Amino acid sequence: MTHALARPSDLARSGARLPWLDAMVMPTLVVLAVVVGYPVIYTLLLSTQEYNLLGTEPARFVGSANYHKLFDDPIFWQALRNTALYTFGSVAVSLLLGLAMALLTDGLVGRRGRFVRALLLTPWAVPFVVVAFLFRYMYLQNGGAINALLLTTGVIATPISWLNVSLLALPAVMVANIWAMTPFFFLIMSAAIAAIPNEVIESARIDRAGALDMIFRIKLPFLRNALLVSSLLMIIANFNDFAKIWAMTQGGPGYSTTTLVIYVYRQAFENFSFGYASAVGVVWLLLLLVFAVAYLRALARN
Amino acid sequence: MRAVAIAFALAWSLAPVYWMVVTSLKTELEAASLRPTLWPQNATGVNYASLWAGSLPFVSFFANTAMTCFATAIVAVLIATPAAYALSRARFRLRVPIGYSILMFRMLPLVVLLAPLYLLLLKARLLDSFVGLIVGFTTFGLPFAVWMIKSFIEAVPIEIEEAARIDGYPRWQILMRVVAPLIVPGLLSTGTFVFMEAWNSLIYPLTFVTTLERQTLPAALVLTFTGQFKTDWGGMMAASTLTTIPLMIAFFAVQRSMVRGLASGALAGA
Repeated sequence: MTHALARPSDLARSGARLPWLDAMVMPTLVVLAVVVGYPVIYTLLLSTQEYNLLGTEPARFVGSANYHKLFDDPIFWQALRNTALYTFGSVAVSLLLGLAMALLTDGLVGRRGRFVRALLLTPWAVPFVVVAFLFRYMYLQNGGAINALLLTTGVIATPISWLNVSLLALPAVMVANIWAMTPFFFLIMSAAIAAIPNEVIESARIDRAGALDMIFRIKLPFLRNALLVSSLLMIIANFNDFAKIWAMTQGGPGYSTTTLVIYVYRQAFENFSFGYASAVGVVWLLLLLVFAVAYLRALARN
Repeated sequence: MRAVAIAFALAWSLAPVYWMVVTSLKTELEAASLRPTLWPQNATGVNYASLWAGSLPFVSFFANTAMTCFATAIVAVLIATPAAYALSRARFRLRVPIGYSILMFRMLPLVVLLAPLYLLLLKARLLDSFVGLIVGFTTFGLPFAVWMIKSFIEAVPIEIEEAARIDGYPRWQILMRVVAPLIVPGLLSTGTFVFMEAWNSLIYPLTFVTTLERQTLPAALVLTFTGQFKTDWGGMMAASTLTTIPLMIAFFAVQRSMVRGLASGALAGA
């Protein structure tokens, strides 16, 4: 019987007689082909059609019309800009916060260390929709905790309606996102710091490296890979973020917090123009592919 | 210095959660007060009681979410385990490309799948059903489960399997009797991860479920907030607290294998 246990020597010997597939991966492949593969291909198809689910007319082939429309659509460009701001801004800040927390708690050991770490991870365990509602409540103009705090400490003179001002809404949503995402970077960075070989730290200590030198010249270089891979992963996750934004602002006021996800969702399920929504989706898919490939290459290098 | 900084970090991480729980114990009036109170003046469980007995089928929301997320976790782990085993141990030509494609699937923007999946479920008459929802959750749960379980299997020394192989046991038996028992903790945390991700999902329930009674908690919170809870922040925060508790339990149960999980579905990869 062919027991297919892979060993490098076996692989080299058997060469060309290997089968293409393996029965054990088939269930996964079939399911993914139906729930992911087929939809992706269908999206490509839909993007060349004029298809309104509510309309009485059947889907109609329109070639690249949806794509032309997209390039002249100012809201698409705004959504693209918002997506970039939301994603890169949130990832950069949470990365710095998470890294700072990891460096801060680095020396904490034993029961107390574990406890502090667990508490710092708490926001991760809060569902996205709850994060959104919680911050919405705290952002309230009248009686919101954030306004109360800023008023008491004298940072602002009059309460601000954070989520209703176009310029402030996106940063306000980002703060909620940063709060929810920081534990991820904290955890990854803590693990990466713990993995730095002891000898390195010891010899730096013997050389009497200062506290800042210790961080910037000794520890950070060791974290480069973890930093790169975890931020790419979160960039991809943030491109996809729907729950927090939708539950906080639904993309408003105006289009000030409309990201590509929100835009596609609205086009598809509020206007029911599946064709156009798909075109936006395809362009976005291509953009995301760039990051996915960068991510895979970073992995391969690790 | 360091202690102060850690105190700040703790305050930043915990204050919102504290605020949620405290607000859930306030009366509607106090929760909407212009001068927020740090501690409820008259702590009350009325918000929780009215979730139980109110006009909204909150218990159903809870059960719907628990059921679909749990089912997704089980389905994903069951289907993914043999695939992960084959990807790490079997020899076939498409092994590497398939592994990477599955990882790629994991990174797809879900919203791109939304319209076609909707039409697919519409044709299959699965809209507004638990099965339809589980299908949706599987799009992200399955690729993740494959990669995570793969990393657990790769950590099992191959010598352990070799003995069974020499005794002539078929592959399925080796997987079921030798490998799977060794990675039970890994399978459990994989399932928990999938469960958590499904619990967080808003876009699928919002699109695929049309009857409020069949809705999941996150979507129900979003849909009803404009109605009953409009200014009832106490009630809202009670609902939020209850939505958080299962996720909190799941999270801290797998927190230790968290790094490991991320290191597989994400970090170490190939």
